Amino acid sequence: MIDIYTEKVESKDWILQNDLYFNLNTSNEEMSENEIHLIQQVDEAKLTPDKHIETKYGLGTIRNLSSGCKTLLNIVKHPEKVVCVEECGPNVLKVIFTMDNIKIYMSRPTLADIPANAKIRFNDTDIVTGSKGYHAWWGKEYERREANDI
Amino acid sequence: MIYKRIAFKADPFSYDLVFGDRITLVGGDSGSGKTVLYEILEDLRLTDEYRAIKLFNYKSDNLFDSIIQCRDSFIVIDNADILMNDEIRKFINFEFSNQYLLFLRNCDGLNVSDKSFKVLKLDHNRITLEEEL
Repeated sequence: MIDIYTEKVESKDWILQNDLYFNLNTSNEEMSENEIHLIQQVDEAKLTPDKHIETKYGLGTIRNLSSGCKTLLNIVKHPEKVVCVEECGPNVLKVIFTMDNIKIYMSRPTLADIPANAKIRFNDTDIVTGSKGYHAWWGKEYERREANDI
Repeated sequence: MIYKRIAFKADPFSYDLVFGDRITLVGGDSGSGKTVLYEILEDLRLTDEYRAIKLFNYKSDNLFDSIIQCRDSFIVIDNADILMNDEIRKFINFEFSNQYLLFLRNCDGLNVSDKSFKVLKLDHNRITLEEEL
């Protein structure tokens, strides 16, 4: 199940500033083979054991990964937290929607690919399945926002 | 427009950025080089030719107060999806003396045109802004 929250909450259990959280926390954690693969997949970056990276833009450290890649790693490393995905490009969102047991915040819908069997729960209440259910939920949400002049 | 074109070399890359609207939104995939460009602009803005460039990201202090003081500036905002609130969007819409380059996906509330939506394209070490499809 992917939990999506659509109203922003300031809480220690939420990660809203992904660059900052990653640079100070997640980047200091050990990266698994799967996470090294995700870094390669999203940023086309090679991560060395001493946390340097090599990308098409040159050499750097793990803190030079893209904001989207940092967001993805924050989600993977901290599945108990609600992570803001508003800075993620379609290449990252596509990966996120293949994951399970994660919590994300988005205030508007994305056009990213969503698998037909993805189970999604909005705001701890409405459960939908796949791209069709996802977009149907957002359709109703926009009607609600319009009715409430939001 | 403050700059119709920003062109410079940053070996091994050469940037040739052409702007078609007062407001340019750069989206596209993560890892396409937006923050790399932002970091190069930090140096470029220290030259006479590009001193109109004003840069903002998640590290900026007093973001709103700083932005609303800008006039005749080329304002660049990285991490704009998490930084820009309704007030900043209103300021951008109505402060016509500035030009804006926003690393942003959510265009809600902004007066943008078809020419506003761009992605960075890297081809043989040449980096340009192309229309986002």
